[in-house]
Amino acid sequence: MAIPYFPGCTLSTKASGYDRSGRAVAQALGLEFQELPDWQCCGATFPLSTDNAMTLIAPTRLLRQAQEAGGQMTTLCAICFHVLRRTQNFLQEHTDVLERINWFTEEPYLGQVRVTHFLELLRDQLTWETLRANVSQPLKGLRVAPYYGCLLLRPPAEIQLDDPDDPHILHECLEALGCEVITFPYQSECCGSYLAVSKPTVPQQLAQDILASAQHHGAQALVTACPLCQYNLDYPQQSVRGWAIKPLPVLYFTQLMAVALGLPEQVWGMEGHSVDPRPLFEPYRATVA
Amino acid sequence: MSLDFHEQITMLSNQPILLCYHCHKCTAGCPVVEEMEFGPDRILRMVQLGERERLLKSRDIWLCAACETCGTRCPNGIDIAKVMDALRLEALRSGVTPAEPDAAKFHKLFLFVVQTLGRSHEASLLIAYKLWTLNLLADMDSGLQLFVKGKVPVLPKSIKGRDQVRRIFLKSAEAVAKENLPSANPASAQEAK
Ligand code: SF4
Ligand code: SF4
Repeated sequence: MAIPYFPGCTLSTKASGYDRSGRAVAQALGLEFQELPDWQCCGATFPLSTDNAMTLIAPTRLLRQAQEAGGQMTTLCAICFHVLRRTQNFLQEHTDVLERINWFTEEPYLGQVRVTHFLELLRDQLTWETLRANVSQPLKGLRVAPYYGCLLLRPPAEIQLDDPDDPHILHECLEALGCEVITFPYQSECCGSYLAVSKPTVPQQLAQDILASAQHHGAQALVTACPLCQYNLDYPQQSVRGWAIKPLPVLYFTQLMAVALGLPEQVWGMEGHSVDPRPLFEPYRATVA
Repeated sequence: MSLDFHEQITMLSNQPILLCYHCHKCTAGCPVVEEMEFGPDRILRMVQLGERERLLKSRDIWLCAACETCGTRCPNGIDIAKVMDALRLEALRSGVTPAEPDAAKFHKLFLFVVQTLGRSHEASLLIAYKLWTLNLLADMDSGLQLFVKGKVPVLPKSIKGRDQVRRIFLKSAEAVAKENLPSANPASAQEAK
């Protein structure tokens, strides 16, 4: 089954390992990603002020492309997902704004596209049982801590993906891969988000707390669905001195899927990480026939 | 007639700011509160009291990461991230120098982006602001250079798509000018009312 897919800016550049592993696992599971033909940046933040609806033009142009591609679209980036789903909800409720945006874009968007995060597709369409059945290299004994962060879950009334206080979707995915899944108290604390640009000391402090807590609970790696969380938690481990924690790899869930599905190392996309996660996977390498 | 500051922020954010009874739950869970001067619940109190100057000059509005932790927990359903965004917007419109110097750097970059798009106008500035904020991340460790050189795929790949985006920018800018939507200049916004 072909699924219209929006990679977004970050997955085309900095987080290309997320994109590569995501496309590969989707294909291995029979869900082929079909990149939207002529996309641009989604806007990267959902406009929160009421008279700021102009900034919805960018995400609406993408929804319109998904409409042409068959009425649904999926994303891997938690930020793009957050922006697109909230835009979709907003336009469904505010038809006057939709009309106005359509006047600007001159290409009517009808307001009906279903935006999903890839995790949601796996849970609701593919099912965890099917995922489990496709695992050839179960990650038995690998202790991983899902890290949800903010944008994938909040605000819950609009995002409606999972319970923000007790989320399960990443847990279930990793359990299906055979991992030992660890719940730790910082799993949905904020990583500091875009303060990485304007005030990096804030995310650095938050990252230390998050990583230390995960490590304290026995995690060998942290697993996320957000390129910004990945950056904030991984990059400072190499660049900031004097941290009182051992290096802890920070992975995308699609990367663990790629290993567990027995896909070749070229599609794991783990080269660019500050803390190299590859040594963790030595025991789980598919033996080449 | 001009709205008072509290009414203005209430409208911009569409949040029931007066409902806040200062239980402090939001502030207790805010990940950046240690860096803040006031913290989210005092910010709301200051909006209630109309302390415009202090708010717009405060670093807190630039430190909020819009993580929605507070909004998810508030017993009165106040989405404080929206209030913070309204305050940032108001600060940009009033030309107040942002208390966070790097936020000011952002601001200059947006202006640059807008100029390269052809016109410096608030609508396009805001679109550019939203469009480009996070994408700085795409090339963070190599600095802003790559970004400025257009190496980040923010715009569509095809010439046709790029032209369309440019047309939309210009069209929205014109509409804002014509319809007297809230403008970058607070003085003219007052006159319009
Ligand atoms: S949690 Fe809500 S009611 Fe309590 S102080 Fe914060 S904004 Fe006010
Ligand atoms: S949304 Fe802003 S004010 Fe609220 S908890 Fe997050 S950082 Fe703090």
